[in-house]
Formats: sequence, C-alpha cells, structure tokens
Amino acid sequence: MNIYDLIVKRIKEAQKADSDGPVTNVSTSAMLTAEITLISSVLVALIMLRLVNNVLMMVAVLVVLFTAVLAMPIMPQLKREMNDSLYAMTFYMVLALVIVITLFYWGNFNV
Amino acid sequence: MNPLIALMIIVPIICALFLNLLHKKDRTIKAIAIVMAITLPLLPLLANYGLHYFGGYEPLYQNPALSKGLPSLITGTALNTFHPAITYSFQDAQKLFIFILGLVAFLAIIVSLFETRRPSGVYGFMMFMGVAAVSALILTDDIFNFYVFFEIAALATVGVVLVSQVKGNYETALKYMILGSIASPILLLGIALLLGVTGNVNITDIILSLKSGAVNPQNPVILMACGMIFFGWLYGSGLPPFHTIKSAIYSKALPHGAALLQAFSVFTFIALGIIILRIFSYLPLSQLVIIGVSLLAMIMGITMAILQTDLKRMIGFLAVGELGYIGLGLGLGTALGITAGLFQAVNEVVITAFLFIGFGTIYYQSGESDIRKLGGFMVKNPKVALLVLLSGFAMAGVPPLNAFQSKLMLIQASVQAGLPELGVIMILLSIVTFMTFMKAFHAVYMRPQPSDLEIKNDFIPKATILALSILLLVCLLLGLFPQMATNYLQGISTSLAGGVP
Repeated sequence: MNIYDLIVKRIKEAQKADSDGPVTNVSTSAMLTAEITLISSVLVALIMLRLVNNVLMMVAVLVVLFTAVLAMPIMPQLKREMNDSLYAMTFYMVLALVIVITLFYWGNFNV
Repeated sequence: MNPLIALMIIVPIICALFLNLLHKKDRTIKAIAIVMAITLPLLPLLANYGLHYFGGYEPLYQNPALSKGLPSLITGTALNTFHPAITYSFQDAQKLFIFILGLVAFLAIIVSLFETRRPSGVYGFMMFMGVAAVSALILTDDIFNFYVFFEIAALATVGVVLVSQVKGNYETALKYMILGSIASPILLLGIALLLGVTGNVNITDIILSLKSGAVNPQNPVILMACGMIFFGWLYGSGLPPFHTIKSAIYSKALPHGAALLQAFSVFTFIALGIIILRIFSYLPLSQLVIIGVSLLAMIMGITMAILQTDLKRMIGFLAVGELGYIGLGLGLGTALGITAGLFQAVNEVVITAFLFIGFGTIYYQSGESDIRKLGGFMVKNPKVALLVLLSGFAMAGVPPLNAFQSKLMLIQASVQAGLPELGVIMILLSIVTFMTFMKAFHAVYMRPQPSDLEIKNDFIPKATILALSILLLVCLLLGLFPQMATNYLQGISTSLAGGVP
C-alpha cells in the first residue's frame, strides 16, 4: 500500500467515526486537499523564521514536517476539535486571551 | 460642522425605530424600508469631508472665540488641543467604506423584502440598527463611543439571527451572546485601562499623549490594554478562535441577512484594526501578531471551508479566511500593504455578499443548504448560475474581477516588504478557495437533481437578480479600474504607515 492509499484509508476511517453520512469521493478529496493545504501553508509560513535565524528555520521546518507526517491525517482531528460546542469555543477563547495578553505584556518588554 | 455626517448614523436609527413600531403593517414597512435603504449609499456620496462634534465643541486652539478669557492653565497646556466632544471624522476612506456598506445594506434589504412573503419590521429594525452602528464604528474618533456601537452591532447581529427562523438559530445566537459577554467586557476593560493612563477616550488625543511623552508608551498598563483591545478585535471580526462561532452565525441567518452580517464583521475588523495600528503601531509585536493571527485565520478558515457540506457555513468559513488577507495587508505596515488590505476589505464585502445572495437563491427555492441534497439548478436558472459562477471567480481572484487586483497588490506588498512567503501562501489559499467554490458549484448546479428534492419557489424574484447584477457590476468596475477605490485609501494608508512606502 503506497502512502496515498494509506492517507485515504485513514481519512475514511476518521470520517466514518465522525459522521453519519456516507464517505464519498468528494468528501475524501476535500479532506485530502485540506490536509495538504494545512501542512504546506504552515511549512511555508515557517520559512519566515529565516528572519530570526536560518538554523532555527531549518530545524523548525524539519520538526514540523516530521511531526505532520507522523500525525497524518490532521484535518479530521482539527475538524472534530473545531465543532460548535460551547465548551470547546470557551476553552479556545480563554486560551487565546492568555496567549494574546502574554505576548503583548511580556513580549513587548523583552523584544 | 457637517450635518450629513450625523445623518449617516441618525437616518438608519430612525428608520429602524419606525420599522419596529410599524411591525405587521406589511406595505408600509416595505415602502419605508425601500426609500430609506436607497438613502444609505447616497448619504456618504452627498456629504462633504470634515469633522462632526457630538455633545461638545472643537478643540480650543481651533476656535479662538471659545478660548478667549480662559486661564492659561487651560489655554497654555495640552488641554488646549484636546477634543472635548465625541468627534466623528469623515474623510476619503470613510466615504468609500460607508458607501460600500450602504450599497450592500441596500441590496440585502431589497432582497429580503422581495424574498419574504411578509416583511418583518423587527428584521428591518435589526438590519438598519446594525448599519447605523457599523457606520458609527467607521466614523468615530472616540474609543468609548466605538465600544458602545460595537455592542449595538453585536446585538444587531444576534437579532438578525434570532429573527431568521433557520433551524438551530436560537442556540447559535445564544452561544454568540455568551462568548460576547466574556470578550466584550475584556475590550471595555482595555479601553478603561487606556482611559486610566492617558485620561482620554479620544483616539487622536491618546496618540498625542503617547507621542508627546506625557504618558510612558511602555507603561505595563498600556501593554495590557493593547492585549485586551486586540482580543476584542478578534471577537468583533471573527478571527480565530472566534472563527467557528462567526461562521455558525452566518450559517444560521437567512442569506440576505448573512450578506449584511459579513459586511458588519469586515468593517468592524478594519475600523478596530485601524485604531490598533494608530495607537499601538510603535509596539514591536503589534504588526507581528496581526500577521500571525491573519495567517491563522486564512489557513483555518479556508481549510475548514472545503470540508463543509452546508453552503452557508462554507461561505462563512471562506469569509473568515478572506479576512486574513486584509489582516496581512494591515500587518505588513507599509503604505502599499495597508492600501491593498483595505482594498481587499472593500472587495471582500462585495464578493461575499454576492456569494451569499447568489447561493441564497438555492435556499430560497428549496429551503435546503446541504450540498449533498441539492442538484440540478443549472437547468432551472442558467442566468443565476452564471452570476454565481462569476462571484466564485471574483472571490478566488480571477481577472478581470476586483479581488484579482487587491490580491495582486497584497502579493506585491509582501514581496516588497521582504516576506515573499506570505505571497506564496496567499496564492496557495486562493487556489483552494477556488476549489472549495467549485466543489459547491458542481454539487448545486451541475449534478442531476435528486429525486427527493422539493422545490418550494419556482421563480427567483427580479430584485434578487438585480442585486446580483449590481454586485457583479461593482466587481467588474473595481477590477478594471482599481484606482476608483485605491485613490480613496491612499491618504489613510500613508498616514498609518508613517512614511513607509
């Protein structure tokens, strides 16, 4: 089984567990597209770390690439996480508040 | 003083109140709503540039007659330059923004009146009140006044969803209110901290206090205030982590309501984004965080959009993703980047309204928005299908439509700023946006009609087709003659960029 078939198989498994509807070609290819888009966008964004340090950029890209390959498929998990549950939304809201305040308060002191 | 500036807020508020009072008087509501909706895009075109002072007067140094006889304790200090009134500023950029808001509101209101059998006074109230609130957000130079209208806009958003009678609307509106009840007070607290340190709520005066050294710009309270106002910005515009609830809000409104709600979000985004840039651009992290959050919004919004099976939710996520493009322009901090970002904002408002109203015809005809249950609409409405196809082309940035120009400018700005990676991501995500749209378009228009699909309305109102045609015309005009918009944006961009080209 090649890597494409392996990814599609895991996407189908994740979707079956997630949804009551049938797993179609369209939904699988959409999931695969989202997966590739997510990983490639994050990797390209990480290249901007070159402005801080070239070695840091290379390490970050390799670590994220390696982690992404191991964790594939990421999108079904991400979709499950970004549901309409009030608890999940409140959790991420509080998390974002903590990150933003930390960044602005301590980040500006130490930059 | 220019009375037409005040009328941009007062007219929609008065209209909203009348519509609410006249609830159930269908014909009167329709007539008043049409007449008043026409005035929304006209007022900014007729108004002259200038300032308007609510509940006070201009700074003393501008009016020697007022300062005559006052002690030097007032005239000889910073008090002489402070703005004692709530100041509304109407310049080039505000003219363009309020015109586009008025145009989208006019079209959404007209479509709602003709797609609904019995026009609802309460629905009209919410739409007009939201327009008034967002116009005030764009015009005001007073950060506390901004907060008041920010809350009114949030309540109008909830109201539009509550009145929409879409399955699950109450639950989603309640969730939005609960999240807002946490995020909005954080924004207010940020404003209060800023007031506590600078002694001012007028934005120009706050900037003067920071720049003149009257207040230490590195004061920890100001840094905390910046974080809190930034958090309020995430909530108001629907950036992560609020992208899930924002897209849910769009999907639980009627399509014409969603067309207007996304305009509220985009204009709230740029109004508060401009305030953050004006006050806090001296902080090294502010632009970096704006770029980070915008990238996150683009990636999360667009990758989530392609997974959706509900048309309205899909457009909702796409709308959130497109906000990221605007944020990137603002975050780059150059004049070209900010112009491109603001131009993208104008284009996004028009295109997303185009998509919501276009795909809204499907919901109007079938009462269904799940693409797995739809099909065969190309045969029924080939003209509308063509218009919807063009709206998708516009969103993806296909020339000669408007988003092509703004996205090209954004890519040029990112390359010029030394961040070509952002340009690569923008191109990549535009391709995925197009793919998402084509997935929905194929399912709705090009597949055979499912046997169990029930068509409730055979004909689409002419008002809807007219609205779609007007939006297409705007997309074409801004695509062929981008300077029609960018000329209005260059002044504010140059000022925000602080001389960086």
